[in-house]
Amino acid sequence: MPPQTNVPLPPGYQLDEYRIERQLSLGGFSIVYLAFDKEDTPVAIKEYLPNSLALRSEGDALPSIAEENVATFRYGMKCFFEEGRALAKISHPNVVRVQNFFRANETVYMVMHYERGRTLQEHIQKHKGEIRESFIRAIFSRLLNGLREVHTHKLLHLDIKPSNIYVRNDGTPVLIDFGAARQTLSLDTPLLKPMYTPGFAAPEQYNNTRRELLGPWTDIYSIGASMYACMAAAAPQAADQRLERDQLAPAVKRWPDKYSRQLLETVDWCIRLNYLERPQSVFALQKALADKARIVPRITFLGGLRKRVRALIK
Amino acid sequence: MKFTIYQESRPGKRPTNEDRIAYSYSRDTLLMVVADGMGGHLHGEVAAQIAVQYITEAFQREAHPALKDPFLFLSGALSNAHHAILDYAADRLLPEAPRTTCVACVVQDSIAYWAHAGDSRLYAIRGGRVLGVTRDHSRVQRMVEDGLITAEAAVRHPARNRIFSCLGGASAPQIDFSKKTPLMTGDVILLCSDGVWGPLPSDVIPRAMSTGNVLQATPALLNQAEARGGENADNLSMIAIRWEDSYAEDTLGSVSTKTMPIDSFTTQMEAFAKARKGAQPMPNLSDEDIERAIQEINAAIRKFSK
Repeated sequence: MPPQTNVPLPPGYQLDEYRIERQLSLGGFSIVYLAFDKEDTPVAIKEYLPNSLALRSEGDALPSIAEENVATFRYGMKCFFEEGRALAKISHPNVVRVQNFFRANETVYMVMHYERGRTLQEHIQKHKGEIRESFIRAIFSRLLNGLREVHTHKLLHLDIKPSNIYVRNDGTPVLIDFGAARQTLSLDTPLLKPMYTPGFAAPEQYNNTRRELLGPWTDIYSIGASMYACMAAAAPQAADQRLERDQLAPAVKRWPDKYSRQLLETVDWCIRLNYLERPQSVFALQKALADKARIVPRITFLGGLRKRVRALIK
Repeated sequence: MKFTIYQESRPGKRPTNEDRIAYSYSRDTLLMVVADGMGGHLHGEVAAQIAVQYITEAFQREAHPALKDPFLFLSGALSNAHHAILDYAADRLLPEAPRTTCVACVVQDSIAYWAHAGDSRLYAIRGGRVLGVTRDHSRVQRMVEDGLITAEAAVRHPARNRIFSCLGGASAPQIDFSKKTPLMTGDVILLCSDGVWGPLPSDVIPRAMSTGNVLQATPALLNQAEARGGENADNLSMIAIRWEDSYAEDTLGSVSTKTMPIDSFTTQMEAFAKARKGAQPMPNLSDEDIERAIQEINAAIRKFSK
């Protein structure tokens, strides 16, 4: 059966205490709306509605869920709750803020603070190859503050990429879409199957069986890949392909005249395939970015040797 | 972790039920215990109750959310339960410690681990065939296995109820451990007291479980055993699960316990007075669960809003 798409709730629809204005985005698992609350404050509302399990037809509010899908639909709801639980605990200017959670139309809704601006992805598209170092530094230093807060709560985002980094009109970033976030820092077993985006996911995210390798360095890889994407105006080579044959040119080699050596080295440091060779914490990375004189450690002879030995063992 | 479970304990034709059964699961690990307090000894049901309660509590202390080493857990839990029974007897100056059989099983990462002392049994059944079964600590059963007497003769043997290992009692228990047994979807693990397996011909239990429908097959088996037990039917207890995950597949798949908080347990223990109990299918995400999750999230939002 071809995947069908869900019909969004119509403009003007009264959803709990909110009035739907329009649809902002539609994904396979959810629809995000712009809505207004009782005080006419804009909010973003995310509706849990996986189109493989629940379909809403034109003119209906209630989705129809086949009998055999009810259990799976409810299981997926748990994942949606995970995202809510993750975000509820974090109140930081650079992390999207959840305001409310409610049930309606036989599904669940997450109300988030509405931010005006555009995604970093859109910004990259618009300013192809013309993103200045000051912009990258301004966005990522603030974003890292938010990410540090996330990690402090023993959470990993696990899907950081330019389309999940929102740039407000005032130029400050917000980390959005914690649909993949898991309380992984406190667990030695994963809760759910991994989700990742090629180009931005760290190599350890591709390896289902070695989830214990996930850590702050996993999000840091995605940060590095996102910075690289700002410079290249395209996603870097996917990590699983890099493991086969690494064709990703180091930032230091590609843009020596455009960006400072220190920034380029930091980017290359973040996207090392061996997670042990990356900055191990957001703090370490922030320190590297702040300290302009700092030289990022190069792969030592021993490190390179170890890598080769590992490859042999594999 | 996904499974279907059914447990029931009946007094049979006896005035009291000295069997105790319980299961408990965390997000990642399931524990099942059957203990059959020994009649003829003082306070058989007390020994059974202590064993089941002790092992369940130890499980809840250690499975956070998984056990580090299931065999080590079983070994420690069973022998400590033995000592807990001895302590109980000593505290109350009982002339002899009460005794109980005990079979306990842990399932974690789709691998089953079990241990037992006495003649309460565990059957691992795949497609109606016995994959593994405990060996009773009973001389008569060993004689049957060795071909010294027939199964029919064993049923009438005067020493058929004598066992040489149990929890409580004067000597330290002999505890036997299984191999690590990987489970596939549809495998059945069944724990029961001798009131169930005693009256039934040996092939009845695996055959009854071949459908894998433990919710129907378990009470049906209990009915059958109770009927065959006749006027003297012993206490009958049984816990059966149908495993829904598979060791071979990616065990990270769809699961019902995965969003349980890591520090929570669901436990079903037969109460002292209770003789019969209905089906205990795995709970799904109910409306109440959804309401609770939403309340929890909203409480967190309020708490962390500045």
